[in-house]
Amino acid sequence: MPTSSDDRVRIGDAVFPKPFVNGLEFNAPVHGTWNIVHIGFRIPEAHQIYICADNCLRGVVMTAAEMGELGRFSSVVLEEDDMTHSGRIEETTIEGVTDCLNKLAKTPPVVIIFPVCVHKFMGCDIDYIYRCLEERFPDVVFVRGFMDPVMQKRGTTPDQRLRKAMSDIIPGLPADCDTVAFAGSDMPAMHNDFKTILEYNHKTIKDTAGCKTLDEYLSVGRSSLFICQYPAGLMATQAITKRLGRKFIYAPLSFSFDTIQNELTSSALDIPEDFFANGIKTCVDEVKKLKELIKDTPVAIDYTVVPKPLSLARFLLDNGINVKTVYLDGIDGSEEEDFGFLKTNYPDLILHSTIHVSDRRPVRSIDKVLAAGQKAAWFEGTEYFVNMIEGGGLYGFEGITEFLRLMEDAFVNAKDLRDIVPRKGLGCRSCI
Amino acid sequence: MKKTYRILPVYTGDVSGAASALYELGGMTVIHDPSGCNSTYNTHDETRWFDQESLIYISGLNDIDAITGNDEKFINDICYAAEKMKPLFIALANSPLPYLNGTDFKGICKVLEEKTGLPCFYVNTNAMHDYSKGQSEAFLSFAKRMLKEPGKKITNGVNIIGMTPLDYTSTNIYISDGHELVSNWALNTSYEEVMKAPQAELNLAVSSSGIAACKYMKERFGIPYVKGLPWNGTVRDYTDVERKASKNYIVGEPVISGSVAAYLKTATGEDYNVIATTEVTDGLLLDCDKRCHGEEEIEEAIKDAEIIIADPMVKYISPASARFIELPHFAMSGRLFRKQIPNLMNPEEYLNGLK
Repeated sequence: MPTSSDDRVRIGDAVFPKPFVNGLEFNAPVHGTWNIVHIGFRIPEAHQIYICADNCLRGVVMTAAEMGELGRFSSVVLEEDDMTHSGRIEETTIEGVTDCLNKLAKTPPVVIIFPVCVHKFMGCDIDYIYRCLEERFPDVVFVRGFMDPVMQKRGTTPDQRLRKAMSDIIPGLPADCDTVAFAGSDMPAMHNDFKTILEYNHKTIKDTAGCKTLDEYLSVGRSSLFICQYPAGLMATQAITKRLGRKFIYAPLSFSFDTIQNELTSSALDIPEDFFANGIKTCVDEVKKLKELIKDTPVAIDYTVVPKPLSLARFLLDNGINVKTVYLDGIDGSEEEDFGFLKTNYPDLILHSTIHVSDRRPVRSIDKVLAAGQKAAWFEGTEYFVNMIEGGGLYGFEGITEFLRLMEDAFVNAKDLRDIVPRKGLGCRSCI
Repeated sequence: MKKTYRILPVYTGDVSGAASALYELGGMTVIHDPSGCNSTYNTHDETRWFDQESLIYISGLNDIDAITGNDEKFINDICYAAEKMKPLFIALANSPLPYLNGTDFKGICKVLEEKTGLPCFYVNTNAMHDYSKGQSEAFLSFAKRMLKEPGKKITNGVNIIGMTPLDYTSTNIYISDGHELVSNWALNTSYEEVMKAPQAELNLAVSSSGIAACKYMKERFGIPYVKGLPWNGTVRDYTDVERKASKNYIVGEPVISGSVAAYLKTATGEDYNVIATTEVTDGLLLDCDKRCHGEEEIEEAIKDAEIIIADPMVKYISPASARFIELPHFAMSGRLFRKQIPNLMNPEEYLNGLK
């Protein structure tokens, strides 16, 4: 069965994992998700330096500016002469980074360097660049970032590789069996069953998404167990736990009770009596409450709100919620089972691309729609939406319950779509 | 080092400039690029994206297509989109990787014209220049490919050339002496309006981005042009107002800065020098003015300043002793000061106290 060349497809007719044909791409004016600038600033005290052409640089420098973080950001502009003279791009990169660092009042302890697509296509000797920089600045730890969106569609994304590079600087400190880290996510864990159980077990909890100082960030290396709850952070978590010889659990926010129980049990932590039964009851009660409140109001979900949008759609549909549309452009491998279930049991559920050329002219309903996620809200033109990205740090029964409460709140209280969704990096400071 | 930036943002790039110039003209602009350019453009460089439709897309280039130069996919994707969205023309913009592998955009345009039956033109960008060059190339390419000989002239008809939200917030320009506005290139405008441009008798270049198109229309249609803002409705080339060297500086785009300098000279007798920080400057500066490239050169040029008129970001590299008049410029500080950007035609609003 071919993938759809249209902007939408019934899930009954859709192909896993790529329901849509690649073509020219539209970009919706919805920017709550994080980019590499937001992610890089998760290392406290780190300075970021981008080396790229004007037009590409503009996006990242304005991201930093809108965060009020230009003091931790520098840039080096690449021009035509850097492409046409042999060795010039290495020279410009090395001398540019050196100049940027020399201009700072204080040399930062960590510097994240971002070469770009052009460096790769010019065959630039990246190792040579880092050797030179490390000789010139022996007290600086260089994090090897990359801004190469040309690699976005194949292999590992710049986002995944940045998270790994950021975790590479965490040292292998002696493991403390009472310390556990949340790692790889942008959202600090909250309303999260893992957190609740860790506290019940009197564990010290670290979270790379919420470190205030560099020392705190580096002390994550003491953790005996790493919990990753965001797909883009999995590669980083796998790499650091392999390097340090530690265990990890990968548990992105799921709406399957079985999955939650299995994942929590795999932690080998003590779990309070009746924790699962109580958790399930709370979720069931809350989803009934949601149903009573919104009745048959159409619901739209997008891929930015939770890591597993099809798991969410399945849970809501199974509980009588009128989910009409899921906005996504591809389906994560971990959602294959949910995809198959929905295809069989809810074949009329619509999968809707967010980048198709037709999306420039979204067809919007005049009826009230409840949306989960900023993109779903924009495409549906609704002010009733859950304003969350990446699962918001939620997990487990408490996470599901909180998510349902947010849906109830979103249904009742309209939000200023126009003001909210163009702001970049939900959860970060926004100066616009 | 002139290529490094400690605190200033770079200006909006040429690709965004091209897209901004063509935004309202009913065509389809395709940027041959991975996802970076489109997101940057619609987030930071385009004020109309949320409210006003425009067919601006990226090719979504991946590494294999870039290495192999997979023009066939690019062409097929454009044909599909054109069939679906029915644009009036197709414009192609370049970016670093197709620039590096020497993609034949003019050849692709010919193929697209044959396949779609639509006019198609290339805007010479590569993401390594600022918006003024991108807009300039876009207006010029549009004029060359799209304009036709005028059937009749409109007496005292005027075109405003070089106006986009990257420089301007308002199109409310009053021109006296019985002049009639024929077209605006290209803010609050339309395809039908700009296609009337050859009927005008005068072009008014209100930014450096408009100069190339004005020169072209002068050569092809015999339309003379004047550079600068028509203060109090009077059309007068700002370079005709003599200015001398001083320690008062206006930092920014040369035509707007030069016009403000001319206004101040006329209104107050005081001299202001232009520190032109965008790329297109040929014939736009007086001897007392200066072109600067990059943060370091700007900082050096204004280090002895007594008064500076500039985007608020420039304050970070200005001497503390200088009096600083904020004139936010969307192409520099983007959304940071968007709400404070004044109508450039009302200088009393932003030059408070300088009279």
